[in-house]
Amino acid sequence: MKKIFFYLGIIMVMSICSYNLTIHYIPNIVYAVFHYKIEKNQNIKDNEIKHFDIPSDQSRNVVMPNPDFLYSTIFYDLSEKDLNINANMPDSTYWSVSFYKPNTINWYVKNDREFDTNKLDLTLTLNDSKSEDFITSPVKKGFMIIRILVEKKDKESINYYKSLQKNIILK
Amino acid sequence: MKNKIVISVILSIIIGGYTAISNINSSTQNNEFSIKNGNWKVNPNMDLKDSYQRAYISRIGVFALDDKEALYFLSSKDNDGNPLTSDFDYQIIGTPPKGRYWSYTLYGEDYFLVKNDANIYTINKENLTKDKPILVSSSKKDINWLPSGNETKFHITLRVYNPDESVYKNLESLELPIIKKIEK
Repeated sequence: MKKIFFYLGIIMVMSICSYNLTIHYIPNIVYAVFHYKIEKNQNIKDNEIKHFDIPSDQSRNVVMPNPDFLYSTIFYDLSEKDLNINANMPDSTYWSVSFYKPNTINWYVKNDREFDTNKLDLTLTLNDSKSEDFITSPVKKGFMIIRILVEKKDKESINYYKSLQKNIILK
Repeated sequence: MKNKIVISVILSIIIGGYTAISNINSSTQNNEFSIKNGNWKVNPNMDLKDSYQRAYISRIGVFALDDKEALYFLSSKDNDGNPLTSDFDYQIIGTPPKGRYWSYTLYGEDYFLVKNDANIYTINKENLTKDKPILVSSSKKDINWLPSGNETKFHITLRVYNPDESVYKNLESLELPIIKKIEK
């Protein structure tokens, strides 16, 4: 009889631990799966940029994509060096730069109106810095999204924004 | 003895993991962490310090922006409280909260964009024909058409980028558009 209570006790304590760990790590699992898909299916490594087309019903990478945006994404890794992002961004539409931790927390976002210029020149670093052009990442590895709002979906506008997107340079 | 302990531990991991995922899925269906305003639900405090809320958001809106940058209003029901379905047509009546940019996007039950021949997924500040209603329908409409495809259930998300300060002050009582069922 005592043995039954012993095993039930183990099951109860371990189930609670397993429950809490699962809840805690679901975002990390979602992140890891997305990272894996990008790396394996699209052959994009860390510190390389991936430009996505405007989302459609075929887009299955993440839930609730915004079909008004062109997305460029980077899984960054600052273990060996800082990462510089250089680009000419649009001057007449919304765009933003955002960073996420592997637990999917959005720890930084800044949009076109908050930047003084459409010439983007940011350096992501692990070191403390007071310069506006340097951003101190709280994590060695994380995720970055550059969003460009495509207000008008005519071919000319889309091609223009795509050309800007393709000129984003990482160093 | 050892074998029984190992079996107990494995069983516990399965029970705990399964219950956690079921709970998050159920929260996803009920959108439990949101502020409710009519049939719209909005998630402020997207800094997500609470791990339960973080798990929930990662299921329905991973890589969403911080609430200071954008607000996401989600509705799965019409103004009578019935689930949105492509069996019916709907009209969206009213004005979105003030902000730099807004859009209505229709997502299927799985939270992905809905297949439609016209490849229209959104009605936004730019493509809206003013003074004409927004029509949600599975059949083609000439103006302000948001296709609902062939979905048993769907969701509509109203995004507001750079909302006015006033929007944050009364998220629960803010006047939001209604989604009204109309004759097909």
